[in-house]
Amino acid sequence: MKRAHRRLHFAIWAILGPVMFWVLVLAITNRPSAPVNDTLPTQLIEEAS
Amino acid sequence: MSHDYKSVQWTPFKIRFDRWMLAGIALYLVLFAVIGEINQPPGESVHPVQAMIRATGTLAFLLLTFILCIGPLARLTDRFKPFLYNRRHLGVTTFLIALVHAALVIMWYHGFSETNPLVSVFISNPRYESLSGFPFEVLGFAALVIMFLMAATSHDFWNANLGPGLWKALHMGVYFAYALLVIHIALGAIQFNKSPIYVALLAASAVTVAGLHVITGFAAMRPSDRTANEGWLKVAAIDDMEDARAKIVRPLKGEAIAVFRDGNKISAVSNVCRHQGGPLGEGKIVDGCITCPWHGFQYRMEDGQSPPPFTEKIATYATRIVEGVVYVNPEPNPPGTPQTPSQIGASA
Repeated sequence: MKRAHRRLHFAIWAILGPVMFWVLVLAITNRPSAPVNDTLPTQLIEEAS
Repeated sequence: MSHDYKSVQWTPFKIRFDRWMLAGIALYLVLFAVIGEINQPPGESVHPVQAMIRATGTLAFLLLTFILCIGPLARLTDRFKPFLYNRRHLGVTTFLIALVHAALVIMWYHGFSETNPLVSVFISNPRYESLSGFPFEVLGFAALVIMFLMAATSHDFWNANLGPGLWKALHMGVYFAYALLVIHIALGAIQFNKSPIYVALLAASAVTVAGLHVITGFAAMRPSDRTANEGWLKVAAIDDMEDARAKIVRPLKGEAIAVFRDGNKISAVSNVCRHQGGPLGEGKIVDGCITCPWHGFQYRMEDGQSPPPFTEKIATYATRIVEGVVYVNPEPNPPGTPQTPSQIGASA
């Protein structure tokens, strides 16, 4: 691989690597939690249980 | 479009490789379906089309991960060099699997409305400001377009017409396609599927691919040991030079130099193959010719010319041996210039 391509190759990964990890961490930490049915009144739930 | 080109020939090894590759793909798809069926939670059912969407999606991503690891791994160990030779077949196959994945997704999730299914991919989910609800399918589509361009131009016809430099630059698009796919999965499957296996696989893939490329890229940019002998660069002690293999020397200026040992002869040529810029110094000597590890292009040691009927030429360099140590003159000769090899055992 030519010297110019080697530099370009390194620069691409030096940028893409952190971008991928940043999005990956954000995506994992912002995952929606399991759906909860909050339409029922708390009192009703307690009575039922 | 009358540009002349010489296609890389089919060989028994390539045919065998393709058979193993297709068998592996079939095995993966069958195992994915069987294991998915066994591990299915009670009360839940996955339609065979959905199972195939997951199977082809994961397979395409794993194959792309492997393809991107081949280059750096081949620099670290010779075991991966045979894969370099067949990387293009793997790449085109990966595109076809990704295409099946995309076609199934479009048919299954966008094919039942009155909107054009392709348009629906872009407008059915407008939540571009959301992270967990981002229209991740658009990212996969963009990656597929890049992979299509690469698969369509993978033939040597395009390499000959575009030129090795432009062709190589175009094919670096695979790195962006991979990054788009990592984000596509992170904002897609990872959001819906709580299984830690998907998170672990995605993170392991991203760490491995990016890590290997950064490490080997950094090493390839570092100039070699510049211990000079009257301006000549030190290569290695003769005893450290493996027969039919090369040591790569990187001068401060100019391209890297591949210094080969063939029995008692030492010769040096440019490390850059004229075909696609492959690293000749990572190849070996076959039938007396330096053979590129990427696609098998060959050059004679003594003058850097491809054997007839081929006409490619690369630069040669003068070498000498002083007290058991090989040195190379960093000033290149014009491509195809005959250069007498240094003889091991002869006086300097």
